Amino acid sequence: MTIQFYWQVPTRGDGRLADAAVKLRGERSNDQPYFTAGVTDPRGRQFNYYDHLHQIGKAAELAGFDGLLVPNDPQGEESWIVAGYLTRNTRRVKVLAAFDSARGSAVYAAKNAVSYQRYSNSRFAWQIATPADAAERRANGDFIDDADIPQRTEEFVTVARHVITETGYSFKGRFFEVLEGGFKGPLSGQAVPQVFLTGQTAADLAVSAKLADVHVFGALPLAELKPHLERLLELSAKARRPVQAALRIDLLVRETAAEAVHDAARQARQQGQTALPDQAGLWALQTPGTGAARATLVGDADQVIATLADYAAAGIRVFQLGAVPALEEAYRIGEQVLPALRARLGLTQQQAA
Amino acid sequence: MAIDIFWRIPTHGEPSSLCNKLHHRGDWSQQEGDHIVHRGLAGGGSDGFNSLDYIAEVARAAEISGFHGGLIPSFPMTDEPWAISSFLARETSTFRFMIAFQPGFLNPVTAARMTASLQRASNGRALFNIITGGGGPAQLWWGDVAPHDDRYARTTEFLDVLRGLWKGGSYSHHGKFYQLENAALPEQLLGQDFPEIYFSGSSDAALVSASQHADFYLSWLEPFDQLKEKFDKVKEKTDKLGRKVKCAVRVDIVARATEEEAWREVRRGFENLTDADKERYARFAQQTGDSVGANRQRSNTPKNLDNYQDFILHPNVWSGFSLLRGGQTNGIVGSYEQVAERLDDLVRLGADSFILASTPHLEEAYRVGEEVLPLLQGHSARNSVLRAVG
Ligand SMILES: Cc1cc2nc3c(=O)[nH]c(=O)nc-3n(C[C@H](O)[C@H](O)[C@H](O)COP(=O)(O)O)c2cc1C
Repeated sequence: MTIQFYWQVPTRGDGRLADAAVKLRGERSNDQPYFTAGVTDPRGRQFNYYDHLHQIGKAAELAGFDGLLVPNDPQGEESWIVAGYLTRNTRRVKVLAAFDSARGSAVYAAKNAVSYQRYSNSRFAWQIATPADAAERRANGDFIDDADIPQRTEEFVTVARHVITETGYSFKGRFFEVLEGGFKGPLSGQAVPQVFLTGQTAADLAVSAKLADVHVFGALPLAELKPHLERLLELSAKARRPVQAALRIDLLVRETAAEAVHDAARQARQQGQTALPDQAGLWALQTPGTGAARATLVGDADQVIATLADYAAAGIRVFQLGAVPALEEAYRIGEQVLPALRARLGLTQQQAA
Repeated sequence: MAIDIFWRIPTHGEPSSLCNKLHHRGDWSQQEGDHIVHRGLAGGGSDGFNSLDYIAEVARAAEISGFHGGLIPSFPMTDEPWAISSFLARETSTFRFMIAFQPGFLNPVTAARMTASLQRASNGRALFNIITGGGGPAQLWWGDVAPHDDRYARTTEFLDVLRGLWKGGSYSHHGKFYQLENAALPEQLLGQDFPEIYFSGSSDAALVSASQHADFYLSWLEPFDQLKEKFDKVKEKTDKLGRKVKCAVRVDIVARATEEEAWREVRRGFENLTDADKERYARFAQQTGDSVGANRQRSNTPKNLDNYQDFILHPNVWSGFSLLRGGQTNGIVGSYEQVAERLDDLVRLGADSFILASTPHLEEAYRVGEEVLPLLQGHSARNSVLRAVG
């Protein structure tokens, strides 16, 4: 059994949890000096948020994660640019870029992906998700009907896969068309990026059984997740193609459960929540910043390890973890959670990339 | 106004000289057992290096040698410029990434976000060479069904949208090719410089689109009077719109200490050609596609392909480059002084910027930066001529 741990890289605002205002670390603005006039600031405008993103990528790699998840956040940096930037500056981790099926030509996406693969020893992967909200889609120049989204995703992945793996490929679908396509010479024979798809509905699961390498579930209590998980594995068995299950979950880990609950409560109050749980466990708490998971696992390291191990026992094979601040927490979780969790699951240290 | 000089990035490998046909820098060599170089140069080795490491060296050579940056072409057999730019943003300092791309291949909101993000990642070093596709079956290979003139209309509309989004605030657009409702770039991505636009395409449709959006109208090298005509035409169209456009030329060069050495390099490359190479070239020369630019390039092919001198169009202008390395046909061959003089001639007839290239791009970036660029007068040449006459 292999289990992979991805770390989410926030494409906007990353900062200390108790900070009400999320800052772009490393970034300075002329109108709002960071220090008072009484203190010189040697940084000038030499750094920006990308210098911090670089630090996060390195931290996750050093702390033993298997991959980086770069979310697709319309309010943040664009995911492929961040992915390329981080890939060149890491050695081993997979880099999973999330994007939208309205991105443009599937052939062009595939061709760009081939360069990413060639330049990274095949560490690039795709997470394709299209917003459920029609207004959000229209702001992205995308006027597709809800009902057509699965079809477009399917055509996108189908075309991309075929132009990467064969030549003389023609396709005429509702959304994409290719004539005698396919990459040649050194652009041929590259690994198709692993395809991650998301969603909880029956239609989402059906598309994943057909197309995905990995299906990502949002964080739910294990008992609620189990029926969906079983359904996915059933559909995947029926389709005779293996689909791994992934869990996107945020963590709030502290030395003691009391500290974790204290910090979680403070964050929940900042978000205007009033009825708060008083113990460790899965909180309906949204991590500030980019692409929050739908829930946060709150507790000390042992508690978090035990819960994640339960998810693994139920069939989760990929964990997409996140926490703020992303740099500091990558180390905390890399040091206090991953080694003990891997040992408990009988895994060797991080998987080879 | 001073002129800007760019270099070019070889995106599908290259040989170690024009006389050598093995593309062993990068992994494009067709030759079995071409192991004369280290795996790192050939790409895809188990030592952790790949062909991007060579490209990175070329980019750093260009920035060290005084070029603004490099044109990064995009063709079916090449690696892709968006990938190269995002990967190399951190390890270069002043090198500007001129991304060749066809607007039709990207959602304009995605493109705006990518561009702004790349500006942030590179400290404002992204710019475009907007291309619109040669058309024919090649266009469908890319998955694009739009016909030639429609593609230029789409290019224009795409750039309208990109500029609209760039201004900030909520932006809606209902056009022929694109619809957007309440689109907006996030605060974090605003305030970046809009990428400078180099624009390539020789048809009338191209000139219409260029006159609206190009900062630099970019052409391959053509016979000088022909080029002047083209530049005058685009400037006239642009003037009518109350805009100003500058012109740029993509030029292959062979510059050596003496003219004799430069021609010797060309002659050797020419003598290494096989009959099959020449037949392939002759077939290409007879083709016509819907790319007006490519057809103009083909129009100067000599009847017989036996003597390299038959390809000389003007003093120091040779039209056989595509025989030696693919790509455009015309280039400048001569001593350092002569190459600089011909480039200054081009400035006099309207060029404000050059994209130069020479094989191999790494060593030649140093040579051209050290030997040719210091001799260029740019627009001060025009002034000195006027003074001499006056
Ligand atoms: C300097 C220059 C560079 C070009 N680079 C590319 C390129 O990288 N990729 C590409 O597909 N076409 C490239 N082209 C082709 C043109 O953009 C255009 O697609 C072609 O000339 C057809 O348009 P036309 O009929 O208006 O000439 C280039 C053209 C020029 C002049």
